[in-house]
Amino acid sequence: MKPRRRNNLFKDIRRHAFYNACLLATIILLSIMLLAGTIVSTSLRTGMGNMQKRLGADIMLVPKGSKEKAENMLLEGSRSAFYFDASVYEQVSGIEGISEVTSQCFLKSLAADCCSSEVQIVFFDPVSDFVVAPWIETEYKTGLSGDSVIVGSDIASEDGTIKLFGQEYPVVSKMARTGTALDSSVYFSTDAKEELLKNAEEKGSFLTEDQKKSGILSSIFINVKGDHLVDGVIEAAHKSIGDIFDVVYPKKLHESLAGSLLKITGVINIVSISLGAFLVAILLIINSIIMRSRKQEVALLRVLGHTKKRLIGKLITEMGVISLCGAVLGCGLGALIVIPFGRLIGNSLNMPYLGPSAGNTLFQILFIILGVFLIVFLSSIFFIIHATNIEPYLALRREE
Amino acid sequence: MLSAEKISKRYNNNRRQILDSIDLTLDEGEFVAIMGESGSGKSTLLAILAGILLPEEGQVLFDGKDLYSLSDAELSEVHRKKIGYVPQSNFFLKNYTILENIVEPFVNTNDADPEELSEKALAHLDRLGIKDLADRYPHELSGGEQKRVALVRALLTDPRLLIADEPTTGLDSETGKIILQYLSDYVASGHSVLVATHDEHVKEYAGRVLDITKI
Ligand SMILES: Nc1ncnc2c1ncn2[C@@H]1O[C@H](COP(=O)(O)OP(=O)(O)OP(=O)(O)O)[C@@H](O)[C@H]1O
Ligand SMILES: [Mg+2]
Repeated sequence: MKPRRRNNLFKDIRRHAFYNACLLATIILLSIMLLAGTIVSTSLRTGMGNMQKRLGADIMLVPKGSKEKAENMLLEGSRSAFYFDASVYEQVSGIEGISEVTSQCFLKSLAADCCSSEVQIVFFDPVSDFVVAPWIETEYKTGLSGDSVIVGSDIASEDGTIKLFGQEYPVVSKMARTGTALDSSVYFSTDAKEELLKNAEEKGSFLTEDQKKSGILSSIFINVKGDHLVDGVIEAAHKSIGDIFDVVYPKKLHESLAGSLLKITGVINIVSISLGAFLVAILLIINSIIMRSRKQEVALLRVLGHTKKRLIGKLITEMGVISLCGAVLGCGLGALIVIPFGRLIGNSLNMPYLGPSAGNTLFQILFIILGVFLIVFLSSIFFIIHATNIEPYLALRREE
Repeated sequence: MLSAEKISKRYNNNRRQILDSIDLTLDEGEFVAIMGESGSGKSTLLAILAGILLPEEGQVLFDGKDLYSLSDAELSEVHRKKIGYVPQSNFFLKNYTILENIVEPFVNTNDADPEELSEKALAHLDRLGIKDLADRYPHELSGGEQKRVALVRALLTDPRLLIADEPTTGLDSETGKIILQYLSDYVASGHSVLVATHDEHVKEYAGRVLDITKI
């Protein structure tokens, strides 16, 4: 009969329950910190990267008094509606020094039968557009015409179509996730506007007086030629259409946010590095205490014929099990804290925040578990090797 | 079987020469006792002979091979199978029972069957009069009981040489005699025993009694 192998791993871990509990607690804290740090900073970074795509215009002209609404819509996706007369677009696009210009029209608070919540509807001109296209996630297959739509990432369409005011529209593409209310917007070509408004009214949706007018638009996005001043273009617009607009500077909004992002991630980095260094120092101290208290045990087992290699393996396995448990628990706790409160964190920092996908989070967790194991390994290996190298007799004597 | 040549030892930064060029040989089937006053270096000598303390000078030959030039794996094999050692101070794994303390260290290292090892351990404990302590924990035992457990642990794999540091110190003379008789029986079954002791009774059992200051 082959001798049965016995596993005393957990018994051996329990023998030093107090110190191992300290070790576990430290590892849990370390993992929580690492996970929270990586998730928050990657979420801020992807949120920012995504926002940059939406803020691709030098200036955005909106009706006078709508500046704040427009900024909130750009940054947080809050639903708004404000209108110019459509003739403004023709006048502005003729201004000297403009390299790109396009217009959009927003409808808010239209109850739609496709979706449980209200959707924001955006009309844009696919031909002149340069602000929507950069954040379309999936390639257009067919061109966007009057009877098809692009949807925000939160809008589900099982059969590739969505129904709005009694009409079905094929979904030709999806926007990248923004983590804001923009994720429940539907994007139409401007051509579709008249018919959609008509359908909406027939289906009993309440339309404002403005919305009933035929030629309306909400904002004009402009990129200025490199050799022209932005202020010059604004001046010219004043002359041509009068003092009826406010100016929003999307690229500048992005720059200032990017500046604060740099500060915030800097703070996160400094805090995590110092907290991390502190926790590693504690790990070193605990490991040195553990191994000091285990010298006699190691010596005894060597006297009874255990090889150094075997003892080192045994001690590393114990550390490994503890660090695995700690890292898994810590990542679990960290995820419980960071994932539900992520949006809150982003809001309180006043930053765009785009949480990573589940797959991505899992990958980060695996990475952290591995990293934590490595840290624990490195912080204990010296003490382990030292303990197995003491002459057994000397270690056994110290007991007295 | 065991022969030590010119063993000298001083501890690290200590100028006192504890052992000075000691020669000693031990043959198969011999029971040798080393005596000497406290601090004379008996424990130090035994540790060196057992292969667990590096001498400053000299060699310890076991079956003709220098213990201190063996690899870790080879020396471990010697400790596992050929030399048993009972330290002067008792040390046990505190959340293992007495029986587990004796058996577990050998379970995954020797190709022995744990059941067989347990039976053997219980037989030893029985003959030493402490079989009923097998399921207790080390801290529940008296010093003399612990000493006997340590002896069983060292004897479990039938080492050819047993080195015991003060096996009877602190025991009443009855128990002391039981242990000495036990060692004597072990020798009679073809093994060798080396002890360090202050116990005068040893003279009745040992084949040779050496004064550490005179070797
Ligand atoms: N690790 C050590 N470092 C420094 N000195 C030591 C060490 N171990 C022992 N000594 C010294 O070496 C001398 C011999 O010690 P040892 O334990 O070998 O004596 P002993 O004969 O076994 O004494 P006892 O009969 O009290 O057990 C003592 O003076 C002791 O102080
Ligand atoms: Mg001694």
